[in-house]
Amino acid sequence: MQLLEPLEKDRSNLIKAIQMVQAEKGFISTQAIKEISDHFGIPVVEVEGVLSFYAQFKRSKPGKYKIAVCDGTACHIKGSSRVKNWLVEELKIDDGETTEDGLFSMETVACLGCCSLAPVVSINGKVYGNLNRKKLLKIIKDYKNRGDN
Amino acid sequence: MIKRIKVGMASCGIAAGASEVKKFLQQNIDDENIEIIEVGCIGHCYAEPLVEVETEKTSIFFDQVEPTEEYLEKILSVDKNSAMTFRDERVSREKLKVTRLAGRIDPVSFDEYIEHGGYQSLEKARKMQPEEIIKEVKTSGLRGRGGGGFPTGLKWSFLAAKEAEKKILICNADEGDPGAFMDRSMMESVPHQVLEGMLIAALATGATELFIYARAEYPLAVKNINKAIDQIYEHKVNVFDDRVIDITVKEGAGAFVCGEETAMIHSLEGNRGNPRFRPPYPTDEGYKGYPTLINNVESFSNVPIVIKEGGKKYAELGTENSKGTKLFALAGDLKYAGLVEVPMGLTIGEVVYDIGGAQRGEVKAVQIGGPSGGCIPAEHFDVPIDYDSLESLGAIMGSGGLIVIGSNRCMVETARYFLEFTTKESCGKCTFCRIGTKRMLETLEKITKGEGSMDDIEFLEDLGPKVIEASLCGLGQTAPNPVLSTLRYFKDEYLAHVKDKHCPALQCNDLVDIFLDQETCIECRQCIKNCPVDAISDDFVVDNDICTRCNTCVEVCPVDAISRVKRGEKNG
Amino acid sequence: MAKVNLRIDEKEITAEEGQTILEVAEDNGISIPTLCYHEQLSTSTSCFLCMVKDKKTGNYIPSCSSKITDGMDIEATSDDIFEMRKTALNLLLSEHSGDCEAPCTMACPAGIQIEDYLRAARKGDFLEALKIIKERLPLPMSIGRVCPRFCEEDCRRNVIDDQAVNINDVKRFAADLHYEDYLEDLPKLGNKKIAIVGAGPAGYTVAYYLRLKGIKSDLFDMMPKPGGMLRYGIPEYRLPKDVLDTELAHFEKMGGIDVYCNQKLGEDVKLDQLKEDYDAVVLTIGSWCSRSMRTEGEELAVGGIDYLEELGRQGWSGDDPGETIIVGGGNTAMDCARSTVRLTKQDVYVYYRRTEKQMPADQIELIEAQEEAVKFKFLTQPIKLRKENGRLILTCIKMELGEKDASGRRKPIPIEGSEFEVEADTVIAAIGQSTDAPEGVLTNRWGDVDAQDDNYLVEGNLFSAGDCVTGPATVVEAIGAGRETANSVAAFLKGKEYKRDYNINVSRGHWQSLSKDDLVLIKEPVERKRAELEYISDKQRTNSFKETNKTLTEEEVKKEAERCIECSCSYKEDCKLKDYSEEYKAHPEAMVGEKIRFDYDMRHPEIIRDPGKCIKCEACIKVCKEVVNKYLLEFKERGYYTRVGTELEKPLPVDCKDCGECIEVCPVGALDWKEKKR
Ligand SMILES: Cc1cc2nc3c(=O)[nH]c(=O)nc-3n(C[C@H](O)[C@H](O)[C@H](O)COP(=O)(O)O)c2cc1C
Ligand code: SF4
Ligand code: SF4
Ligand code: SF4
Ligand code: SF4
Ligand code: FES
Ligand code: FES
Repeated sequence: MQLLEPLEKDRSNLIKAIQMVQAEKGFISTQAIKEISDHFGIPVVEVEGVLSFYAQFKRSKPGKYKIAVCDGTACHIKGSSRVKNWLVEELKIDDGETTEDGLFSMETVACLGCCSLAPVVSINGKVYGNLNRKKLLKIIKDYKNRGDN
Repeated sequence: MIKRIKVGMASCGIAAGASEVKKFLQQNIDDENIEIIEVGCIGHCYAEPLVEVETEKTSIFFDQVEPTEEYLEKILSVDKNSAMTFRDERVSREKLKVTRLAGRIDPVSFDEYIEHGGYQSLEKARKMQPEEIIKEVKTSGLRGRGGGGFPTGLKWSFLAAKEAEKKILICNADEGDPGAFMDRSMMESVPHQVLEGMLIAALATGATELFIYARAEYPLAVKNINKAIDQIYEHKVNVFDDRVIDITVKEGAGAFVCGEETAMIHSLEGNRGNPRFRPPYPTDEGYKGYPTLINNVESFSNVPIVIKEGGKKYAELGTENSKGTKLFALAGDLKYAGLVEVPMGLTIGEVVYDIGGAQRGEVKAVQIGGPSGGCIPAEHFDVPIDYDSLESLGAIMGSGGLIVIGSNRCMVETARYFLEFTTKESCGKCTFCRIGTKRMLETLEKITKGEGSMDDIEFLEDLGPKVIEASLCGLGQTAPNPVLSTLRYFKDEYLAHVKDKHCPALQCNDLVDIFLDQETCIECRQCIKNCPVDAISDDFVVDNDICTRCNTCVEVCPVDAISRVKRGEKNG
Repeated sequence: MAKVNLRIDEKEITAEEGQTILEVAEDNGISIPTLCYHEQLSTSTSCFLCMVKDKKTGNYIPSCSSKITDGMDIEATSDDIFEMRKTALNLLLSEHSGDCEAPCTMACPAGIQIEDYLRAARKGDFLEALKIIKERLPLPMSIGRVCPRFCEEDCRRNVIDDQAVNINDVKRFAADLHYEDYLEDLPKLGNKKIAIVGAGPAGYTVAYYLRLKGIKSDLFDMMPKPGGMLRYGIPEYRLPKDVLDTELAHFEKMGGIDVYCNQKLGEDVKLDQLKEDYDAVVLTIGSWCSRSMRTEGEELAVGGIDYLEELGRQGWSGDDPGETIIVGGGNTAMDCARSTVRLTKQDVYVYYRRTEKQMPADQIELIEAQEEAVKFKFLTQPIKLRKENGRLILTCIKMELGEKDASGRRKPIPIEGSEFEVEADTVIAAIGQSTDAPEGVLTNRWGDVDAQDDNYLVEGNLFSAGDCVTGPATVVEAIGAGRETANSVAAFLKGKEYKRDYNINVSRGHWQSLSKDDLVLIKEPVERKRAELEYISDKQRTNSFKETNKTLTEEEVKKEAERCIECSCSYKEDCKLKDYSEEYKAHPEAMVGEKIRFDYDMRHPEIIRDPGKCIKCEACIKVCKEVVNKYLLEFKERGYYTRVGTELEKPLPVDCKDCGECIEVCPVGALDWKEKKR
């Protein structure tokens, strides 16, 4: 894989390599696993073992807008489970799933480091804090209106 | 005359809208003499977005700034009446040493760090013998801030004593405790201070390859620290006797357990992040087999101060066995959430009530140390914050997460939450942690659903200590703490769930009904409009079979006519 | 190498520096259990079964990974450590998905290795099948005919096509075929000898298994011929007595088992004397007293078991009893009714005070009775019996179901004013039996002999088993108890205390709660309907005591045996998890929670992978990587859902069949050869 060329073939770069592929493609395909395995000269099963250990890595294509619902301690006590439920109801997807139109995917994560604004979600890395239902639904609507482009 | 305008742009600030504020200011201030710069976090996260205006003479802060003409006006006129006030309750208790520069300087300006005395400790250390450096650190009484509390100087001496072709030094920036953000803040706000500490440690121990293992969810921290690293390469700060000391940032990939030393080493090597049995300790056999030292971000951030002041001076602050200051990430049910730096020995009450502004009587407990820690009930808030006092109460200092738990929170649910976290994060290797935490979690779920029995409580009390005793790494060894400490201090809440099928905090959804009091109701229909599942009828009755307890109606009702009540109590 | 001094279990030891506690303990004869440790592999330190206590710190440490240090003081055996290891095993069992033993074997009161004998039968090796059966059950010809088939009730084949394997008829065939030419390996007889009172199934079983240990026995029975219930309680049409004779003759052939008939206890033989003359005495006298109806005129009715006994004495023939009413709903009632049908042209009725559903009799008995035109009246309770003009008049009352009682059954209660009268020539009260315990023998509150639960000892050298201990039960239950009693007696004769083996069984659950996806199918189940026995003609069934159905043919039996889906774990004989769980008294249900469930992999021609049984010891991964120098296995996922995976979930390469190192090191049945042991 061209992307990996500059990366030294040292085993210690394996996670970095997977991160690079995911940053580029959004997920790790079977083909990518094989190419990573080739690059480092380590067995495919080992690459799979490593990547499946870490929560960050996805094996399937996520939505255009990746929603991370913070369920860190501060957010949890400020009602993150409700935030999640609002999204489940609105988007009809559960943790780890992607909407049919491929627009949104959702996962819960632990602490985005913005606990003082709890409860928070992040969408494609942008953090939204002090949420209530109305505010959240408005944010989602804005993204929907942006749609595919 | 305004010299500079500083916008707090750490993650907390950005999340509160600081980017928009900065953009607005840039677009609307034409004066070329006014510099608009990004700074980190001063710790007063509740007040974000924060803007600091520096004039020749003074500097004042504006809190909760909005990108509007009105605020622009106030800022440009340096309107003292609209300035943010720093409450004395907080200011008088805080002791800003480690975070002295946080939020005050441009994090990615090398020059500014130097201007503020940066890298002077490193220069001082260069002139010292390694043993001398270690001696100062030992004298300072500095203990690891990553959770374990191991004496830093002693750990360094282990590595220093090693003869090896290569020695490794790792900065633990994995900060996995959900609800903690001290390390993030330091890396975002004063990355050079962390690097300076690491380089001093390298001098003292002879380490030549340095890593920073950073949590995956911290993009800004990684960005800033990488910029800072580029700068020290540029200024050759990391060259000791013609030898370049390599510093590399490695990003984690979403595994709490990788904060554990041996797991972190495996992860850095490109493996699954499973811990291994110790000994051998990393200082004997670490990264790729080389002797390795691991310290936490905050620990390293303290080092320049130790060297600057000298160990003895440093040790003047704090208590018998806990020296210096400690950063806490204050969050939860309180008014002023944020990052605080307090001297060891301050009481929990001072932090929670005075600094945090939590209401006395409305706080039930704090959770210190996150999922590995324990809760401390309000009646013990007079204990001083130091390693030993906290441990004697069944909590730990931990890395610095401090969550205030209000009276309206259920402690059983809180314990369940923490255990759910650790269960999910268990690496799955050893029997007691992998299965034990899962069985305990299932038991807590049963209890919060009102399906628990006294046997279940006994089960938790029996299995918990066994998981602590027979797990391989710190994750399993601490996972039962939140459960055992809530059982210790809030047994009555457990009993209520089990015996009366009642959640006294009215938080556990399965034990709660939503009740609309028609006497109070003004028939504004807000609740009916907002209920996502149409559980409220036209004549203002909540159908609790349909209701998901989402609480929307409770929140929207303008006259508080809707409330959570004990299941079955009001609705038949 | 430097020497290190330490203590393990109070023992002073000097050992080489660098050794682990486990190694040193082993060298010094202190055994420590391990599941994840293998000498040739790097340590995994995952199972934590090898825990010991460092007495200085009070910490538990894994001995497989902890190096010894000078002055160490280790506790490797103690109650605390036992408890911790037991907890570790309980945890492992709680996530474990598997079936150690097949459900049929678990259900069988004698514990026959059914799956094994079906396998032998399938191959046509009926001698082997019989051998396997007789390891647990010495009366297969009889049981092959009269067993209520507990095994079939639990048979997993039901999940596939709702029909259990016809297990019992395979047994019947194998037994019939080879009875004459089969003789077990017999040890030489020693000089110990025991007396057994009651030559029924329990008594014979005790004698048989003692004989296999070289111990002689004398059986005493009060009846003119031996066999007990089998001869005098079970009608000829279910168990022809010439079959029984053949079966019992085998015991004589073995030598060392002598039977004395017409010996009534208390008259012809005295218990005290027996206890003195023999090394031990076993009471297996059965439960032969009919319970009375406890109604006015009850003496006019014949007791069910008395009625059968009388027919038995007459060689299963007798006078026409005329119109007959049998009161009761159990198997004895069915035997009485169906025997009566064969003796009279008149109507035969069964009156039962509860509903058809609640009848304790076996389903098949009820069906066959109905086929033979027995008439049933449910929810009917007799309250009075009198005699008028040579006929019996039975007053009954109608019942209805009320509240549930302690047993969870809805209790029948009389409907006021619903009394009615019926006439009959004979009334048989088959409402239960009790034990006629000999004088001076300890009894419990039901009047049964009070033998200890775990070793069948009554007192001194007196043991007891079978119906006289449990109250009336089935033949196969008496046999199960008989075999255990033999073991207990044998231990007693050696001066040892008998402890029943503590066996654990992990189970995926009863077939009713399972679907096909829940099963591990070691082979594709054959599609075939259950083979049923052929009945003799209806006419023969109602006017003679001829056996009602014929044995299956060899072809049918072989094919029926193929229907078995082989439920038990391929590794049950060698499983370390099972062994240690038994040693440490762990229990699969001690902790309940989500079981791990992963798809098993049968795609390799010779190897099965069943990750539901995996304990995550990492041995397979390590052996493949470190010893075989391939890298075909690796953990995937993490936490509770960690599992051993292959490259892109592909099957293991066919070549693996020549290696099998991973199978070798796997402590459980998670990786195994497909071929079952026997
Ligand atoms: C499960 C687990 C998670 C941990 N997470 C962190 C972490 O996020 N940050 C950290 O500095 N130390 C963490 N630690 C503690 C480290 O293992 C180690 O003790 C610490 O980094 C040593 O540095 P110090 O002596 O400077 O505190 C964790 C330990 C465990 C067992
Ligand atoms: S204690 Fe938990 S996280 Fe640590 S090694 Fe064991 S299973 Fe893994
Ligand atoms: S692997 Fe062992 S414990 Fe599991 S089912 Fe098989 S025999 Fe039983
Ligand atoms: S299918 Fe075979 S092994 Fe399974 S329960 Fe039935 S007879 Fe037994
Ligand atoms: S499959 Fe592998 S990891 Fe699992 S129990 Fe067997 S040897 Fe251990
Ligand atoms: S807990 Fe949600 S941002 Fe920290
Ligand atoms: S942990 Fe020592 S044998 Fe498994």
